Parts: sequence; C-alpha cells; structure tokens
Amino acid sequence: MTRLERSIARVLQAGVWASSACLAAGLLLSVLHVAVASGLLQAGILILICTPVARVVISLVEYTAARDRAFATLTAVVLLELMGSALAALVFNRKL
Amino acid sequence: MPPVTTTLAVIIFVAGIAAGGMGALLGLGGGIFLVPFLNLGFNFPITAAAAISLTTVIATSSSVSAARAGKQLINLRLGMLLEVATAGGSLLGGVTAQLVAQSTLQRLFGATAMAVAIVMLTRLQRRNVILDASTDPGVLGGRFHDQESGGVVTYRVKRLPVAIAASFVAGNVSSLLGIGGGIIKVPVLNAWCGVPLRAAAATSAFMIGVTASAGAVIYYGRGQIVPVLAAAAVLGVQLGSWGGMQFAQRASSKWLKILMAALLMVVSGLMFVRAAH
Repeated sequence: MTRLERSIARVLQAGVWASSACLAAGLLLSVLHVAVASGLLQAGILILICTPVARVVISLVEYTAARDRAFATLTAVVLLELMGSALAALVFNRKL
Repeated sequence: MPPVTTTLAVIIFVAGIAAGGMGALLGLGGGIFLVPFLNLGFNFPITAAAAISLTTVIATSSSVSAARAGKQLINLRLGMLLEVATAGGSLLGGVTAQLVAQSTLQRLFGATAMAVAIVMLTRLQRRNVILDASTDPGVLGGRFHDQESGGVVTYRVKRLPVAIAASFVAGNVSSLLGIGGGIIKVPVLNAWCGVPLRAAAATSAFMIGVTASAGAVIYYGRGQIVPVLAAAAVLGVQLGSWGGMQFAQRASSKWLKILMAALLMVVSGLMFVRAAH
C-alpha cells in the first residue's frame, strides 16, 4: 500500500466511525428526548459530508509533497469545486 | 412532507437496510431504491428524498473505499482526474435541483430508472475483461490481482474524453436525483474506456463520496436534510450493505437483476404518472 492509499484509508475510516457514532448516539438520545441529541445528529451529518472533502485535502497535501504537479493541480480544482458547492449552500441559506 | 416521528425513523431505518442490501448485491448504491420509496411511498418532496439519500451515498462510498484502499482495485489517478468532472457536474446539479419543479425531477428520475433497468438487463452476463498482463498501463492505467482468474490484470485507459463526459453527466444526475451515479460511469468505463469491471466499480465507488458531498452540502444549506431521518437512513444502509456484501460473493445475481430491473421499470412508470398530476 502506498503512503497516499494509507492516508486515504485512514481518513475515510475515521470519518465513517466518527459520524456513525454521532448519528447512532443522536438517534438513540432523540428517541429518549435528551437535549444533546440534535447537536450530535448535526455533528454526525457534518462529519459525514466533510469526510470526502478531508480525503481530497489529504490527497492534495500528498501530491504536493511528492511534487506531482499535475495531480496536485487536479485535486486543487476538485477542492475549489467543493468550495463552490459550500458557497452555493450559503447563498441558498441566505447567509450571503 | 410527513411529520417526523419515531415510527417514520424506524421505517426509514428498515428501508435503508433493504436498499443497502440490494445495492451491495447488485453493485449499486441504495439511492435508486431509497429515493422513490420516500417520494412515492411517503410523499417526501423529491429534494428531501434526494438529500437523505445523498448522505447514505457518502457513507457507503467512504466505508467501502476505506476497506478497499491498498488492494489496487481503486484507480486513484483516474478517480482523482474524473472527480474534476463529477464534482463540477454535481455542483451544477445541486443548484439546478433547487430551481426546477418537482414534476421535472420526477420525469428525470423516471427516465433514469428506466435507463438503469435497461443497462442492468443488457449486461447480465458481464464478467471481467482479462487483458494481456504485459501491457504498459501508462499514467492513468492500472494493474491488479484478479481473484477470479488468479492472474494479474493490466489495463490502459482509452477514450478519456468519453470517461470525462460520462463522469460529468453522472455527477449532475447524482445531485439532481440523490443517487450515486455509478450506474452511468461503470458501464461507460468498462465498455468504452478499457477499464475492467471490478476496477471500474471500485474507482466509481471511490469518486462517489466527493460527488455526493458536493451535492449534499447544497441540500444541507437549504435545510432539506432532516437530521433524525438521515441518521436512520445512513445507519440502515451501512448495516444493509455490510450484510449484502457477505452474500455478494456467492449469490447468483442474474435473477435478482431481472427482478430489480422489473421493479425499476415500475418505479419509472409511477414517477411519470406522479409527475403528470
């Protein structure tokens, strides 16, 4: 396994576990009407959505460190597109 | 939109298990089943159904790819290159979904479900393409150990513009309709671009997380992800796809595919009927 593959696997695995734990705890507590439930659910969903983004960031870092210009540029473009989505989300949410 | 109750959360959890299980057996995400279930069965607006479905798509992609990383099936370079197209398509689709009428989305879903059914039926006998192991894979190609034949499969990527175009369309449809989009990319990569089936499926599943994330964040911003229901769906789909993968190796998928294709044709018809009202 290459260094990049190892980092990617680690980031994805951590994201899945963290978000699933938050979602499961949040779901259980919301059935029991405990106040922290909604915070946990929000955290779980945000971690879930951000996991692939974190994977792109890690790839960008690794390609840059390996001086792989072409793929560093490609991953940077993907990251920009993801930021574009976040920007669109803020516009729809009337935050901008 | 039905009121959010514990019962509804339980129903969605069970539906998630079924969708995830069928998805794993057929090599699809569960979204193509989950979205019509919520939209046609429970009157969720299609945007809310797509929003919930996209969160499950991200979860499946992340967990499957974490498990597969390092086994050479995922073609990282090809994936990262095509992600430029899927993420762009997804961003555009996510914005478009907010601006068009529900009936338009239903018609598009109906057409997509029909296309998926046809693709499924025409590819019943597809196995891995075994290529000459001495080929030079080039910058974008790959090499992996194939369990089925016991040999090393080496491939080059052909017709890159076709792969890029298919990825853009897949990304677009993904965030418009809340499905992963693998059903569009995998057959194209396999049939026209020289990528063996298992490598195409693994690479597509890897890209889908980023694609769905670009779409999901827009739905999140619009407040269309209902947290309790998304949590129930995500956990259900995770459980279902884990269970489905235990059977996927030995299950004969031919009859299952025919059954699901028939189901998708019914879904397609219902979507068109609902859109007309």
